Amino acid sequence: MSKIVASGIVKRYGEKEVLHGIDLELEQGKIYGLIGRNGAGKTTLLSILSSQNPATEGAVTVEVSPDDAKPDDWQGKSSSAGNGSNIVKMRPRSAVVREPVWENPKALSHLCFSRELNQMVGNSANTMKVKEYLKIASLFLPHWDQKMADHLVAEFGLDTKKKISKLSKGMLSMVTIVVALASGAEFTFLDEPVAGLDVVAREKFYQLLLEEFTETGRTFVISTHIIEEAADIFEEVILLDEGKILLKENLEELLERAWCVSGREDEVDRATAGYTQHHAERLGRSKSVTILEPKQGEVRENEQTDRLEPKPDGAGESRQMDWQADTDMECSQSGGQPGFTRGNADVETPLRPDGTQRQNAASIQMRFARDAAVTVQKVSLQKLFVALCGEEH
Amino acid sequence: MNEILSQEKSIYIQIKEMIENDILRDILLEEERVPSTNELAKAYSINPATAAKGVNLLVDEDILYKKRGIGMFVRTGAKKKIVEKRKKNFYDDYVKRLMAEAASLGITREELIMMIQEDGAEGNPYAKENNKAAG
Repeated sequence: MSKIVASGIVKRYGEKEVLHGIDLELEQGKIYGLIGRNGAGKTTLLSILSSQNPATEGAVTVEVSPDDAKPDDWQGKSSSAGNGSNIVKMRPRSAVVREPVWENPKALSHLCFSRELNQMVGNSANTMKVKEYLKIASLFLPHWDQKMADHLVAEFGLDTKKKISKLSKGMLSMVTIVVALASGAEFTFLDEPVAGLDVVAREKFYQLLLEEFTETGRTFVISTHIIEEAADIFEEVILLDEGKILLKENLEELLERAWCVSGREDEVDRATAGYTQHHAERLGRSKSVTILEPKQGEVRENEQTDRLEPKPDGAGESRQMDWQADTDMECSQSGGQPGFTRGNADVETPLRPDGTQRQNAASIQMRFARDAAVTVQKVSLQKLFVALCGEEH
Repeated sequence: MNEILSQEKSIYIQIKEMIENDILRDILLEEERVPSTNELAKAYSINPATAAKGVNLLVDEDILYKKRGIGMFVRTGAKKKIVEKRKKNFYDDYVKRLMAEAASLGITREELIMMIQEDGAEGNPYAKENNKAAG
């Protein structure tokens, strides 16, 4: 299983539509952060991705290599003849097979959604002891690792003789973490795993998660409200807002195009002309706004030509000149990377040696910075989240 | 490698600079293995891909090199290279900023030069002068 693909997911509970057409691809070997406000649809999305909940419309499929899909077809035979690996390499990419997840035992065996335990619901889990709950999990999850479960229980100091109904909020979270990590599932979904955990236990969880991730390369999708803390462990972030995906992007790249600009109000407005100002805050004459640069190749929001601002993207000469003027300082800012061609007139969107696309954002920061009237700062994921989702709709 | 990560800079840039600092301070010696991306990830509670991005920048600069199956190592001459690079950036990184702040405070070029010349001798010459003026 190399990928989970959700397309056109709509979920309605009676009259109320909770998810409005979600398209999402989850690749193997990444840690995804799923963030969104209360009621944004995070839990519903996770339960649909893991087929614990049927979608009203749309489908969730998994991509499997053909060998996995049908072990005894011709591919399997040739591999037993000893040259299977060559054939795998030569096979065109289009040969991947997509299978639905729904009621597909094979696909489901690679998925684990460790739900939040709820003591208010009078279902069976509450009367169970922790020990029994873990036993049942081990029976349902074919790749269960009992040694790890025991290790985690000891790490958290969980009393397995306690009944689920007698656990504190933090201990409930520990149980869900034990199930998720010990599940051994290729794709593991955790719904607010750190809710109620004290700060030491949260740190422990991040450590244990990274340990498991670096050893196995399993994919984790983690929803959380404690964004600041968890942000560093995410490779990609999925921002869910009112049942829609607002963003799904590599976290580093996202944060490299987000800026907080502050200064005297008119100067800030001048410097950020042409960008959507998110989360504007005023204090006397001063103002601070969050702006998000367009991704490389995207057209800026509210595209307009103005005297003071060269277009950041795809704009011919004005940008090129500005770029040349900025390169010296820009280079020092980024730690000075060699081998990167400057002011090359026919490279419209130059790439750094590491393949990232920082020049655009960096040059904009430097243009602002030269402009002594405004202060430009990096924005944390939490601040960006508040700026994008905190506004009244 | 025991510094704390800040919010001001991208994490991979910080990882890169921390390794550079360790090489400058002889904490990491030339031809010695540097911590793996997984070790870095666990030490700083960051995603291994982020750690790898920082390490790879140093490979691109030929400060680290990869020994297949063993890990990343510090290239002979790495320390010299880092010093040269940082010297080259010193003007942009420090002097420009210093002059901009000085200009916004109305400190003249001469005053600035005087401060640098007298630095280390008798504390802050500018503060001394102000006291004299006040007294």
